[in-house]
Amino acid sequence: MNIENIGFETINLGHGSGGELTRNLLDKIIFKTFSNPYLDQKHDGSIVKFEGEIAISTDSFVITPIFFKGGNIGELAVHGTVNDVAMCGAIPKYLSLAFIIEEGLKVSEFIEIVQSIKKAADESGVLIITGDTKVVERGKGDKIFVNTTGFGEMHPMANISVHNIKEGDKILVNGFIAQHGMAIMSEREGLEFESTIESDSTNLNFLVNDLLDTFGKKIKLFRDPTRGGLGTVLHEIANDINKGVYLKETAIPVEKQVAAACEMLGLDPMYVANEGVFLVVVDPKIENEVLELMRTHKKGKNTAVIGEFTNEHPKKVVMESLIGGKRIVSPLVGEQLPRIC
Amino acid sequence: MIKSYKISFSGQVQGVGFRPYVYNLALEFNLKGTVSNNEDGVLIFASGDSQNITTFYQKLIKFPPPISKIKNSSIIEIENVLFDYFKIIPSTKNGQLNLPLTPDFAICNNCKNDVENTENRRYNYPFTTCVNCGPRWAITQTFPFERNNTSIAKFPMCPKCEKEYNSPPDRRFHSQTNTCSACGIQLKLINNLGKTIVIEQSNLFKKIAILLSEGNIIAIKNTSGYLLCCNAEDPKVIQKLRDKKHRPHKPFAVLYPSLEVLQKEVILNENQLKSLTSAELPINIVSLENYNGKIALKEVAPGLNQLGIMLPYTGILKLLANELSFPIVATSGNIHGSPIINTNADALKKLENIADYFLQHNLKIEHPQDDSVVKFSTKFQQKVLFRRSRGYAPNYLETSINSEQKILAMGAHLKSTIAFYPNSNLYISQYLGNLDNFDVYKRFTEVTENFIQLFEQQPEIILVDKHPTYQSTQFGKELAKKTTSELIEIQHHKSHFTAVLGEHNLFDKKVLGVVFDGTGFGDDSNIWGGEFFSYQNNKIERIGQVDNFDWLLGDKMSKEPRLSLFSLASEEMNKILKQKFTSNELNNYSYLKSQNKLKTSSIGRLFDAVASLLNITDFNTYEGEAAILLENSILNYNLKTCKTYCQLNSLGFSAKEIIKNIYKDVEEGIDRTQIISNFLFTLATHILNFSKEKGFNKIALSGGVFQNTTLVDMLIELASKEIKLYFHKDLSPNDENSSFGQLMYYLNIHK
Ligand SMILES: [Fe+3]
Ligand SMILES: [Mg+2]
Ligand SMILES: [Zn+2]
Ligand SMILES: [Zn+2]
Repeated sequence: MNIENIGFETINLGHGSGGELTRNLLDKIIFKTFSNPYLDQKHDGSIVKFEGEIAISTDSFVITPIFFKGGNIGELAVHGTVNDVAMCGAIPKYLSLAFIIEEGLKVSEFIEIVQSIKKAADESGVLIITGDTKVVERGKGDKIFVNTTGFGEMHPMANISVHNIKEGDKILVNGFIAQHGMAIMSEREGLEFESTIESDSTNLNFLVNDLLDTFGKKIKLFRDPTRGGLGTVLHEIANDINKGVYLKETAIPVEKQVAAACEMLGLDPMYVANEGVFLVVVDPKIENEVLELMRTHKKGKNTAVIGEFTNEHPKKVVMESLIGGKRIVSPLVGEQLPRIC
Repeated sequence: MIKSYKISFSGQVQGVGFRPYVYNLALEFNLKGTVSNNEDGVLIFASGDSQNITTFYQKLIKFPPPISKIKNSSIIEIENVLFDYFKIIPSTKNGQLNLPLTPDFAICNNCKNDVENTENRRYNYPFTTCVNCGPRWAITQTFPFERNNTSIAKFPMCPKCEKEYNSPPDRRFHSQTNTCSACGIQLKLINNLGKTIVIEQSNLFKKIAILLSEGNIIAIKNTSGYLLCCNAEDPKVIQKLRDKKHRPHKPFAVLYPSLEVLQKEVILNENQLKSLTSAELPINIVSLENYNGKIALKEVAPGLNQLGIMLPYTGILKLLANELSFPIVATSGNIHGSPIINTNADALKKLENIADYFLQHNLKIEHPQDDSVVKFSTKFQQKVLFRRSRGYAPNYLETSINSEQKILAMGAHLKSTIAFYPNSNLYISQYLGNLDNFDVYKRFTEVTENFIQLFEQQPEIILVDKHPTYQSTQFGKELAKKTTSELIEIQHHKSHFTAVLGEHNLFDKKVLGVVFDGTGFGDDSNIWGGEFFSYQNNKIERIGQVDNFDWLLGDKMSKEPRLSLFSLASEEMNKILKQKFTSNELNNYSYLKSQNKLKTSSIGRLFDAVASLLNITDFNTYEGEAAILLENSILNYNLKTCKTYCQLNSLGFSAKEIIKNIYKDVEEGIDRTQIISNFLFTLATHILNFSKEKGFNKIALSGGVFQNTTLVDMLIELASKEIKLYFHKDLSPNDENSSFGQLMYYLNIHK
């Protein structure tokens, strides 16, 4: 794709004024990149057709740094929302895209972000159908904020709800946890680990789609443990349905380098953010088939059954440790305050 | 003249042979009437010569049964009632429980003689008890303490036992735990595949002794919980036990066959001797200076010059001890960090990979308890309780409380206990352990619910620590919602302070509080642990604090003493840090330190830093390891050669300055033992100087740091005559006292 020179090195307030400069920026970068029949109407909004129920999810992406090992804020904005729509049991179709740019952002960086948005959207099979661009004064933003809203068609066989979960239902996770959070942290704080850790930001909608095609209603829940990590999400679910979660520490996939990095910083991988990770809750009867399907999929090679729901300890997440003891995974309250004397 | 009186006693008066004692005394004084247990204690109706009754009453107060503790007593004359007998009448339950529960008592000498005497019908019977000894709290289901309300109810008395029970002169007259081999509890030895080892009962303990001598690990069901045992003179089996328990360094307690054997190998002081022959019979931590035995010390107590000693306190242990020619390791039967196991099924499931054999029995343990642990300081024999459990729990008799409210205190997190004030007595649970462990948490909630049920009282006030993620705080909050109780959060170190104030009834005095501790959530959202408080007129004010330093990396800092050193180190110490950290670690930690906002005044971490600086240890494998190893690195001190490592400022002193000056001494090649003495001397001196400068003559000391008995000795030695020091008396200085402290805080400080 060929992006024309807009004649500036950095984005300035004029690019958000709504005038000539704005037009220029949009035409030469945005419209050119995302060109599709809906967007090309250049109307105030887009008119699209859906059959049946739709799933909608919105998210704002504010992240420092905006470029990191394994990705940037642009593709994150696509994957994050695409995945959130998929987690509802829907097939993501369209995205809205809004930027809030801080005066001074390098045009080259903006272009790189836009291009990776395009790439991520293409790979995820979604179209950008409406958007917005604003520029704020220096110091009033943090380089660039991105908001996306996703629209998806409900999968005809989906019946996703926490209330379907019963005692004994199995929890699967599609791969290594804590990678994204550690990658961002190492980049942002300049922390050094033995090897570089890359974000696992990716789309999950095709794997979700496959699962629904095959197992339909037997899939009880999808959830992506982004901010707050796996621990926080499991707590939320346990509290919502008044059941306990029983986990096996040895079953939770954590990549060696990530585990070492967490250990070095005194962090529990259970609370570190993820992007390309999701959990699936299924009836124990189909546990093995689901596991098999997921493992043969590109986005689920390291899928593992990590635990199950139980009535033994409502609202508590309990982890059987390596040596056989059981540890309470306590909910995160603000910062990590020490409790050991 | 014949008169009638109603006499009542409250305190620890049930399950201690009080009624049979009264019965025999009444006969002696020619009195008629009745004696019974009720919900308040013991109730006597007596008629007879009024002079006789007065003497009878005086004698009961002056010479009560040996293991009883009378708290209150009263005598009033009533309208004449004529009895033609003196009788013990069975307990009736009229109201709600309002008396202390009875703790477990170590086997008495008479019972020991019975099991050793081939002529006695209880020869070799491990559950031999009498009114003066045996399990109580461990088997209590409900009150009052009557056989039917305990798990012994499953074993009806045989005719012979029945006869003893009904015979006034017998030591087992009205003994609720009376059994013999004909009516009583069955023992069974199985291997870890569940197969029963067929053996005659009379050879059972001989067999176990042989198995132990052959290097086996045996799980023994005692009356208060399972113990894991192995030969204490065999380094290989101890190492095997360590590996299997995932407990690399934490010292094990050792059971000596008898006091005689023990005294051949270890010199005991007067207080230790008293403690090791008491009805509580806790583990005593004794000095190994002049030790002259064959225990594999390096494996039993790595790096330490002290040892936890236990003597047989039940018939089971006594009979085993009689067959042993060597001391054995006897440690709580559990996986590291989990609660002590009390059922056969649990033991088999959880210990199958640890123990080679299991000695089981069919007496249900209702309230499992670990062994209590006590240490007496070397120089002044100051008592420091390390763990308050079997023998002490669940009573606390020393403080009088007067409140209409039912108050429940949830304690802290790591060394959890609960305290409940449901009637006119205060109950403090046994030590329950680290609430991060789910099984401990479960036991913690069960004990809480059991207390509520047993006393038939719902709490109206629930007290919790201010720390938002203590499991005890979270459970307290849930319980407050469920019981619509008022919930009150209390700062950790203030509750430590009020705990000592409460133990010594100092609320009408002006007192300096010194709380030196590992961690606690402070009122300013920082991590406290080196605090000076003033107390006067029901107000606590924080008047000083060790200068703040950085708290790094959450709980990891407490696990790695080198991180405390990193936090406190000055630039010049980079050389040392480079030996202790990789360059990645150093860079990352430097960055995190530069960004850090969480501060601490923890003396626990200062001890860690000193231990790391002196290369004693950089990593803890159990709580407080660095501090314990530090104390154990010196056997003695000489005040004359000691100096301080920092100045006292108006708020306290600087931990950084201490580290800087210790470093100087290290560089100059000063002897390590001298440095440690100086360090402890610095703390002791500044506590006393601070008190002087602020005009106090009473100092109350609490927090885990005061488990350091060398520091305690130094304080006692340095304190001038005008200064009175108050250490904990019947509670531990560590977080076990939090629940009691919270209660004291609520009753005396909270408005
Ligand atoms: Fe504490
Ligand atoms: Mg979202
Ligand atoms: Zn006895
Ligand atoms: Zn009998």
